[in-house]
Amino acid sequence: MLILGIESATAQVGCAVGGHEGVLASCHTSKGRRHAENLAPQIDFVRRQARIELEEISVVAIDLGPGLFTGLRVGIATAMAMAHALNVPMIGVSSLDLVAFPVRFTSRLIVAVLDARRGEVFSACYRHVPGGVQRITEPQVITPEDLAGELQATGEDVLLVGDGALRYADLFADLKGVDMADHGLAHPSASSLVQLAHAQALREEWVQPWELQPMYLRKPDAEINWIRRDS
Amino acid sequence: MTDFNQILGIETSCDETAAAVVVAAQTVRSSVVSSQIELHARYGGVVPEIASRAHVELLTPVVAQAIVEAGIENADVDAVAATYGPGLVGSLLVGVSAAKALALVWDVPFVGVNHLEAHLYASFLEEPTLELPLMVLLVSGGHTMLVNMKGHGDYEIIGSTLDDAAGEAYDKVARYLGLGYPGGPILDELSLQGDPTAIAFPRAMKNDGYDFSFSGLKTSVVNHVRKNPDVEAADVAASFQEAVADVLVTKARRAAREYGSKGICIGGGVAANSRLREAVLDACVADDLQAFLPSRSMCTDNAAMVAAAGWHRLHSDGPSRIDLGANPSLSL
Ligand SMILES: [Zn+2]
Repeated sequence: MLILGIESATAQVGCAVGGHEGVLASCHTSKGRRHAENLAPQIDFVRRQARIELEEISVVAIDLGPGLFTGLRVGIATAMAMAHALNVPMIGVSSLDLVAFPVRFTSRLIVAVLDARRGEVFSACYRHVPGGVQRITEPQVITPEDLAGELQATGEDVLLVGDGALRYADLFADLKGVDMADHGLAHPSASSLVQLAHAQALREEWVQPWELQPMYLRKPDAEINWIRRDS
Repeated sequence: MTDFNQILGIETSCDETAAAVVVAAQTVRSSVVSSQIELHARYGGVVPEIASRAHVELLTPVVAQAIVEAGIENADVDAVAATYGPGLVGSLLVGVSAAKALALVWDVPFVGVNHLEAHLYASFLEEPTLELPLMVLLVSGGHTMLVNMKGHGDYEIIGSTLDDAAGEAYDKVARYLGLGYPGGPILDELSLQGDPTAIAFPRAMKNDGYDFSFSGLKTSVVNHVRKNPDVEAADVAASFQEAVADVLVTKARRAAREYGSKGICIGGGVAANSRLREAVLDACVADDLQAFLPSRSMCTDNAAMVAAAGWHRLHSDGPSRIDLGANPSLSL
């Protein structure tokens, strides 16, 4: 079983191919936020490096977000079209799960924090469990100040990971018992996506392309204003 | 020319999610348009973020439907064309990304299409014998321009709007009159019961060059209604529509004469307007010009015109690069 993983929820865009033998090839670009320009050539490149034909792919995995809307949609639109054209199912994984996964070997509380712009972050908490991480809080949009307050209140040793944690590092740096994963782990990786999706694919936990739901977490501004006007 | 005949077109530049299969820029095998009008109605205009989200949700089923209705298999698609500009960047990116992915999997060429060029080709789809040079009046919610189409891929914009697009003026006036959204068709319907000569609204720059201005007209409608609160909305609608059509057609007619056009043709959402269609027809009869009025569904945004323009581009310039992005301010 071969899985193509696509992720584009942050300033980085990437893809990877893998399966039973692990990740065969992967590619990431994080300069210029040219997701739409970079993604299709990346997929072609990764496929060649892995020495496979696209027809051999049996599942398309996608980072569902939360993340930066426009970039996120480039990945989702690409992945849905690929799955549709290949006539294969899809597996969606949250971007927060993807940044928490690589730092799983810790007894600390793992807090994934991705930059949501406009002075907010997307965040969720995780614990190490055999084979991966388990999400123990619902993904949320929160100001970094409020998040810092929440972390302080837990009194636990915390490991922060993600570009949002780095962007607001000053707010978290002085908190007691808080440590921060470095730059190389700050973005969701397509390799992690392939690994996580592989486990789900073995359990046949997939959806059809038209059933996939992006995780935006934030309503469009116009809708927010409309709701405010109504209330 | 036998290669790349069967083209899948994709259009997501604004608030229509569309896909179509067209053979050799001539035969429309299927054309599916899923309109998002209801999603945007309560905001009185297209909300970019809502449009982008809807495109993601709708595009896969729309493409699947276009292929099924065309009676073909995925493997029969020879090339994939998608609008890459102008339009809303988030919306354009959905179509471009999906089109490139389909082309990659099917191992066929991808071609990026200029939305305005696609509107020009809408007429040729329905009337392949149209003679060039042609004066094209392109009028929609986003654009108002006069294009001298000299040859395939050879255009000159000779005039465009200096402020509001014609369709924008329609939407604003309709909103002011409390008619609902989208303004154009509702206002058109209402005007049938009104007197187009009831109010003499200004015709800005009517006899002056080929550029347009509609913001003054909109202000004048607002002022008139304010001063005459009892005025019949139908008369306002008919008189407003008359003023718009008068300016558009007077200029198109003068341009056709100056540039030696064989005919006048219209495109874009406002080209579905009944008064404008009538006025173009009258003008062409008077001046002994060919008139071409595409069917209403070919005037508004659709993907058949994208597939047709893509076919022409493919045969003149070859495929687009796979690293093509969206260009929201692309011009002709
Ligand atoms: Zn259009």
